[in-house]
Amino acid sequence: MRRAAAILLFLLAYSPDVIAADATDATDVNNDQESVIDVMGKVSNHDYFELPWTKVYLPRIFLSEGEWHVYKSTKSAVDSGEFEVSEAGLVRTNGAEITLDMSISSHLIYVWMGLLLTFIITFLVGNRYKSGVGRTTEPKGILQNMFEVLFVFIRDDIAKEFIPHNKYEKFVPYLFTIFMAITFMNLFGLLPWAAAATANLTVTATLAMITFVLTQVNASKDHWRHVFVFPGVPAWTRIILTPVEVLGLFTKPFSLAIRLFANMLSGKIMIVCILGLIFVFTDLFGAYVGVGSGVFWVLLTTALYFLKVLVALIQAYVFTLLSAVFIGMAAEEHHHEHDETSVAHAQNVQT
Amino acid sequence: MGFLAAGLGAGIIAIGAGIGIGMIGKGATESIARQPEAAGDIRGAMLLTAVFIEGVALIGAIVCIILALGIGQ
Repeated sequence: MRRAAAILLFLLAYSPDVIAADATDATDVNNDQESVIDVMGKVSNHDYFELPWTKVYLPRIFLSEGEWHVYKSTKSAVDSGEFEVSEAGLVRTNGAEITLDMSISSHLIYVWMGLLLTFIITFLVGNRYKSGVGRTTEPKGILQNMFEVLFVFIRDDIAKEFIPHNKYEKFVPYLFTIFMAITFMNLFGLLPWAAAATANLTVTATLAMITFVLTQVNASKDHWRHVFVFPGVPAWTRIILTPVEVLGLFTKPFSLAIRLFANMLSGKIMIVCILGLIFVFTDLFGAYVGVGSGVFWVLLTTALYFLKVLVALIQAYVFTLLSAVFIGMAAEEHHHEHDETSVAHAQNVQT
Repeated sequence: MGFLAAGLGAGIIAIGAGIGIGMIGKGATESIARQPEAAGDIRGAMLLTAVFIEGVALIGAIVCIILALGIGQ
């Protein structure tokens, strides 16, 4: 309690000068119609990889006029005279079109890091199971125990429950991989200097596309019959039903991508905006009010951070769950009349 | 104008999603109270339905963000 009071006093005594300096800067910048805090910059894709102490500029790779242009960084690309900076990013100086932009960006690095972590953990634990630990004996160590809990959770509570009983097994690896990868990618977004790769629509759309392709490839005949010739309805209603069902095929991955993207994006934006309120209050009511209210905003941000940890895990779970639901819905074979019993059976196994 | 639309839109989204998720929560708690032994299954079904509502709400939220930031103008 005393320490907290001391910290509060310290903040009140020392910070106003700093904040006041920032505030004057802020008004100066505001006159130029620029925001002090780059809210979208915190979540968007960059040509550099940010670390707490420095920025590492990433390679730019372009295919233009059938030729590959590889540069160490954006700066060296501009220095070479081949490219120049415009509002839409880099463009060729001679006006030629860029066919393909394979530049490594910060979000891509985070995707790789997430996948690498997933791979390393799975590989390590997989080797253990191969050597017999966990199969003939009990699982050993924190890593293997946590892995087993997660894996059994994905297999029993997600795959077994939503995918038909006879074919759920081949989807478990995929579901587990996306769960782990999305969890890691989401959790990277909690680092103050990092960004969640899943806050980029391209990443989530790619993940959703994989689910979409898997769903359609493994779809049963009944699935296609339900899409094109819906059984058990008057013939004329199919004029409406078929387009709706075809549309439904594509809205599923769309909503999957948007959901993950919007959740991860809004979390970070909210945190940056709430911290930004300190500067707004300083601007409006002076430095003392700004710093005083800052205590409250920082506490609120801390609470939000806990919420974000929860959201990161829940969204990874939801993505996996919905992937399983969509795959299960498509792979299900109807008109068998033993659907009810198989569901009941699955529940019996679970309990 | 974009800001006005974004603000109004965000509010309406919050109303809609709030009603939807509130009704799910009501249904889930009532059924858990009636049948506590089925709590696990009900919780799963609740989460799944809530997620669908959340998806629609978030699509609206993204439209609001796009309006507020003036992307595409």
